[in-house]
Amino acid sequence: MSAELETEFGDRFTGDTSLRRVLLGVVGLAGFLLVWQVGSLLNPNYVLPGPIAVIEVFIAEVQSGEMVTALGQSVRHWLPGTVVGTTLGIALGVTTAYSSVADDLAAPLVRVLRPVPPLALIGFAIAWFEISTASAAFIVAAGAFWINYYAAYGGVDAVPEAFLDVSRSLGVTSHLTLVRRVVLPAAAPQIITGIRTGIGRCWMLIIAAETFGVPGIGQRIWTASTNIAVDVVISYILLMSLVYIVLDTGVEAVQRRVVAWR
Amino acid sequence: MTDSRVVVDGVSKSFEGENGPVRALDAVDFEVRDGELVCIVGPSGCGKTTLFRIIGGLDSPTTGQVTLSGSPVTGPTPDLGIVFQEYHLFPWRTVRGNVAFGLEQLELDGDARERRIAEMLRLVGLEGTADSYPSQLSGGMKQRVAIARSLAVDPEFLLMDEPFGSVDAQTRSMLHGELLDVWHETGKTILFVTHDVEEAVTLADRIVVMTPGPGRVREIVDVDLPRPRSRTDGAFVEYRERVRSLIRE
Repeated sequence: MSAELETEFGDRFTGDTSLRRVLLGVVGLAGFLLVWQVGSLLNPNYVLPGPIAVIEVFIAEVQSGEMVTALGQSVRHWLPGTVVGTTLGIALGVTTAYSSVADDLAAPLVRVLRPVPPLALIGFAIAWFEISTASAAFIVAAGAFWINYYAAYGGVDAVPEAFLDVSRSLGVTSHLTLVRRVVLPAAAPQIITGIRTGIGRCWMLIIAAETFGVPGIGQRIWTASTNIAVDVVISYILLMSLVYIVLDTGVEAVQRRVVAWR
Repeated sequence: MTDSRVVVDGVSKSFEGENGPVRALDAVDFEVRDGELVCIVGPSGCGKTTLFRIIGGLDSPTTGQVTLSGSPVTGPTPDLGIVFQEYHLFPWRTVRGNVAFGLEQLELDGDARERRIAEMLRLVGLEGTADSYPSQLSGGMKQRVAIARSLAVDPEFLLMDEPFGSVDAQTRSMLHGELLDVWHETGKTILFVTHDVEEAVTLADRIVVMTPGPGRVREIVDVDLPRPRSRTDGAFVEYRERVRSLIRE
């Protein structure tokens, strides 16, 4: 299509496209629910409960207060774990990417520790924090750390050397000023993408971090699974998704504001 | 003592190449007097960008030295404004924010800073776009911002590397006029690196003509023409052909 046509019809087409997207999305979702409902009719309830049965269980869990309690407990693991892991990850990522001495010091250590999955740290979590809020938060923090470490490292590493030259020629003399006024703002898009990824991934990590007896959504899913209460399992999976959608939409809005200059 | 603002004294630069050291610059000597506009012109490979980086304190020479107002240049300093071909504006700051950057490093009260920013924006004709981000600007406008940003901290000397190399011919000739206006108004000493002989003859008081292999000063040409200069003027054409033949020899 010629550029002229594109500007003439562009708005109308994108308008149609987004409307079509929403409509098709609704159709897809409805189709999924239908298949689910039909599937549930062909199977006993303990194998696959239908969507209506799940909604009933979901409402019952909310009304009994069980779900709110579990949500509160999981947030207490997720929030401090994510905050600590994100902060440390960004701080160390920026430091090693900016200072070649720090980079050389950390490089072998990073290579050894990087492949360790957060779950493998359960032993340390229990040994250091016992079975507590802190031990689950520790697992979450380990997950947040690496995501943010690499995002910050990559962001700072990609800051053009010329920005530093220009800044020095405009009178910046200290490393601290250079990092605060130039390196961090220049790397902000990557750092914020890391924060956003970390927030979502750590929320999913809650399930794993609560396997060893710390109460929360994860534990509710594990016990319900053992009791073959599939309707409860699906209810809590639904809760995780809803929380994730709210979180990610919120962070995305913040992200758009912070990197509005792009 | 002379009125030399910048002295390039026996500057040589060698790089480690695959077959031993490669000499990029060989004993480059010249000076820029206070308030002068000097162009360095030469074909690619003559080491002019290497020389630009050394004069700006971004690289160090293998031998020789550069002095600015009598003191050796050892690194980038606010006494020496640098303007790059690729602008290197801070994309997260508005036009105003870019111009303010250097001023924020000085202990300046808010009013004085605001006045200085307004003065710089007026100097380069960007009052109307103060709140735009660089991504919203054309190449010519970006380079105006870069010039305003480096002049804001009042450097003794402005060093420019092919600053108008990325804009179209029409914008370039407009920017030439504006640069000359800025130069007249501020009285700055300017050293301007280019590969474009016409650009050098349009702007310069003197032209340092360089030749490659290794980079050397071939000759320094005094351009004795009144401004504004016309490219079709007979004397202009004579200068242009003379510089071109020096480069070709």
